[in-house]
Amino acid sequence: MSSEDSSLNYSYYPGCSLHASAGEYDLSTRELFKKLAIGLTEIPDWFCCGATPAHNVDELLSLSLCAKNLELADKIEGDVAVACAACFSRLKTTQHILAESDVKRKQVEKAIDAPLKLDGKVKHLLEILAKDLGLERLAAAVNKPLAGLKVACYYGCLLTRPTDVPNMDCVEAPTIMERVIEAVGAETVPWTHRLECCGANFTLSRPGVVIQLTNAILDSAKAAGADCIMVGCPLCHGNLDIRQKEIESVYKTTYNLPVFYLTQLVGLSVGLGADKLGLDAMIVNPTPLLKSKGLA
Amino acid sequence: MDTRVKKKKMIISQETMDVDFVRKVEALSGTSVRSCFQCGKCSAGCPMATFMEHPPNRVVRLLQLGQWQRILAGRSIWYCASCETCSTRCPNKVYLASIMDALRKLSWDAEGASKESYVQLANKLFLQNIRTYGRQYEMRLAAVFNVKSGQFLKDLMLGPKLLAKGKLKMFHSKNKNLSEIEKIFTRIEEMRKKGEAL
Repeated sequence: MSSEDSSLNYSYYPGCSLHASAGEYDLSTRELFKKLAIGLTEIPDWFCCGATPAHNVDELLSLSLCAKNLELADKIEGDVAVACAACFSRLKTTQHILAESDVKRKQVEKAIDAPLKLDGKVKHLLEILAKDLGLERLAAAVNKPLAGLKVACYYGCLLTRPTDVPNMDCVEAPTIMERVIEAVGAETVPWTHRLECCGANFTLSRPGVVIQLTNAILDSAKAAGADCIMVGCPLCHGNLDIRQKEIESVYKTTYNLPVFYLTQLVGLSVGLGADKLGLDAMIVNPTPLLKSKGLA
Repeated sequence: MDTRVKKKKMIISQETMDVDFVRKVEALSGTSVRSCFQCGKCSAGCPMATFMEHPPNRVVRLLQLGQWQRILAGRSIWYCASCETCSTRCPNKVYLASIMDALRKLSWDAEGASKESYVQLANKLFLQNIRTYGRQYEMRLAAVFNVKSGQFLKDLMLGPKLLAKGKLKMFHSKNKNLSEIEKIFTRIEEMRKKGEAL
């Protein structure tokens, strides 16, 4: 879809986290898109994409679950909009693998008992804002620029890696998050850990791993002078926000870095109120920071 | 499988090389194990290498030398976070993250050869939830994990905080098309029984 089109419409795959621990990501996505007049239709009765556990031990199951979701999405007009970086990665990986392997394609068709639909485009929200809507139109919608807010953009693993799969931006030096948030008036900081892994789903099985890896990320963001961190993934958010207090006590330090979803910060800049962005659901309270910048 | 294999002296000969196993890994992962020339970039960038007994490059080397039992008996493959850094940086396009997936599947099929039980338990519960409910329900997943792993107090302090923030849902609805997910699981099981899929 070119940026010339006046109406943008997508099918929406929220993913499991957005219906529970990342409810504020879902809420702020819907409100932001409404405000920007971008159509979003949730795919009825979507299934879990299988996430990491499925491809970890059963690739065929993982591919089949994603192919099934792509089939459900195909019934709705428009490209597929995905909020969660992990779901986004699984859906894109499935399209990539099945386009390359005839053997796997036949197995998956048999498993879902339907012909494959691989031509639909799967897009992360960042891509929709930066490319489909376009930074100029995004900037034009801003009525409360995030002036003076220093944001550390955290990509984590799956928005960019591996090569040739997400194809959203450069794998090792992406700038899409920075471009989006600068377009709405914020400042960004250069920092070391924006592409490092937070430990993701080890939060359930081996939280010690997450505490160590996530501490390095928080430490790097703080050292770079960031006021807050921006993410596009509910797993990264869970580790950086929910576990932040625990990490502070383990490492005997204070970070106090609010962790925003990209839709919350962009939503703030287009004038959406705290109630429409789910700011009260954040564990690290963002209100003092936003007040000090005149944004609350 | 005998996990004591980890401590056994390594003997490499014509007999110990297991090309069949390597071929199976290559078929599952869609990538070449044999292309690796041990530059070590994967291990240099691996965020999880510090938790592994064999760093990623050594996993590939052991595989090339037919020492797959050592890998399956260890915990390295279960400590891979699937961050894809290795696959991204490999100069020979060895998709190591996919090799890790294949090795975990083969270990899984051998019914938990590794002692890294927590990660395997979490995976198992996650997949069971999909089969039963169609989607993932985090609260149920965490609660059942704690009970089954015997860590009743794990993250207990987080619970009330998350509930107050609306981050844990006590109740959830089921998908209307739930029977379709069961069919997918069953068809895959049947294909495997008939030898049509690995």
